[in-house]
Amino acid sequence: MSRRTYTKHVPDVRMITHYADSGSSIVHGMNPWTKAVMLFFVVALVTVVTDLIVLLAIYVFTLSFYICGRLPIRLLVGWYSLPLVFVVTLVIMFIFTEPGDEVASLELWSTKIAVTDNGLILMVKLVVRALAVVTFSLATFMTTRYNQVVYIARRTMPAVIASMFLLTYRFLFVTSDELTSVLDTLHSRNGNLVRGITRQTKLFAGIFGHAFIHAFERAERISKAMESRGFDGGFPITERVSRPSASGIAAISVSIAILAVAVANRYFGLRGW
Amino acid sequence: MAHIHLEDGALSPIWVLFWWAVAAALIAFALYSMRREPASVKRLTVGAMCAAVGIAAFMVTIPVFGVHLNLTPLIGILAGPAVGGIAVLVINLFSAAVGHGGWGVIGVNVVINLIEVMVGYYAYRSLKGSLRIGRFASGFSAATMALVASAIIVVVIIAVAGIQDSHLEEEETAHNLVFIAAANLIMGVIEGFITAYILTFIGKVKPDLLVEVERPRKDSEEAQPSSS
Repeated sequence: MSRRTYTKHVPDVRMITHYADSGSSIVHGMNPWTKAVMLFFVVALVTVVTDLIVLLAIYVFTLSFYICGRLPIRLLVGWYSLPLVFVVTLVIMFIFTEPGDEVASLELWSTKIAVTDNGLILMVKLVVRALAVVTFSLATFMTTRYNQVVYIARRTMPAVIASMFLLTYRFLFVTSDELTSVLDTLHSRNGNLVRGITRQTKLFAGIFGHAFIHAFERAERISKAMESRGFDGGFPITERVSRPSASGIAAISVSIAILAVAVANRYFGLRGW
Repeated sequence: MAHIHLEDGALSPIWVLFWWAVAAALIAFALYSMRREPASVKRLTVGAMCAAVGIAAFMVTIPVFGVHLNLTPLIGILAGPAVGGIAVLVINLFSAAVGHGGWGVIGVNVVINLIEVMVGYYAYRSLKGSLRIGRFASGFSAATMALVASAIIVVVIIAVAGIQDSHLEEEETAHNLVFIAAANLIMGVIEGFITAYILTFIGKVKPDLLVEVERPRKDSEEAQPSSS
């Protein structure tokens, strides 16, 4: 568990790892391949589906999946703030300019600003899509152990990318601890990081500069150690992930069927979807 | 993506596939470039470390500005375009896992970040290495150029592709993105200053990290055959 993080909005990787390692819910017991494939289908579905009701149903499904993993809802709500900010920042102007019926209007300096129904629906759809994927993604990673992630990464990514991904995962704890320690020290000495713009720019430049210098020094030491141990680009796999069970295959089959219907409806106009 | 990541569902399926294909081609080229160069284990660890610092950096909010840093141009300058390219892919994978940008739009986010890495690297190398401009000015110009370029490209990409379910034309969509572009430009200048200060700091404390990128182009071309 992380002792301290400097944001409540970005999920802490240590927290995710903690829940993945210590949980014992039905979702923790699911085959990691099944969860990975279902994550792909959730992403594909929210991209293909345009009906708000269906999108809401997908979101309810992902939230139920998260709850079944016995994962903390309060944390999830906090973590929603970042995707919400991204969506709202992107489409804030669209709620006024999208053609449609006026929902509310305001007159400012003889200029009328009106929120339209289509603009609001557009924003709600993007929010629901973003939250559905974030919820399922977090549920997947908070219920899948590191060893299982290593195995899936090795099997699905090119060796260089998988190695860099897994090394980054390992280095992230040390790096974020280091940054946190420096920020803690600054807090303890100055009480507050809010200073003048120039002072603050220099302050953060020093903090990140240190982080990069230490990162490069550490990379040099680790690469020598890895070479001396005969690193061949592969990571030891301590736990193999078996193929999905019959129920897993059934879940994947249902996901494929739903995606196929969604694609057919979008591009060939099936009725009644 | 610059400082505004796209979430899943923002782009239509065709554009999602298109940008994934472009990103896959660029990443394949970066992997090919990495294989051609020596000392791959060190490059691997350097890339991983840069990605770790990049992820840790976006978890820190700068109090006065209320923003977080990308550091992608800096990663390009320090690690080079090939390793930097793989590092930004890894950062995007981690970001998608925690909801800081979607899975489906990793393709487009990677393309934007790769532009930042490449413009940052080549601009800094030209300014500091070839034109011999000061480290601070080169760092500021390179990072600002990279982030301004990416801010403009973000608007172009979204305007051409359109936001999914929106009925607006390209021009109207572009008008709606003016505020995002303006915010990204301001943040680009702020990050330009911070990158310049970081490079000045690294230049004082550990200048050997900048030797390769600051070497004049002629020298580095002559040095290349002997190193391999």
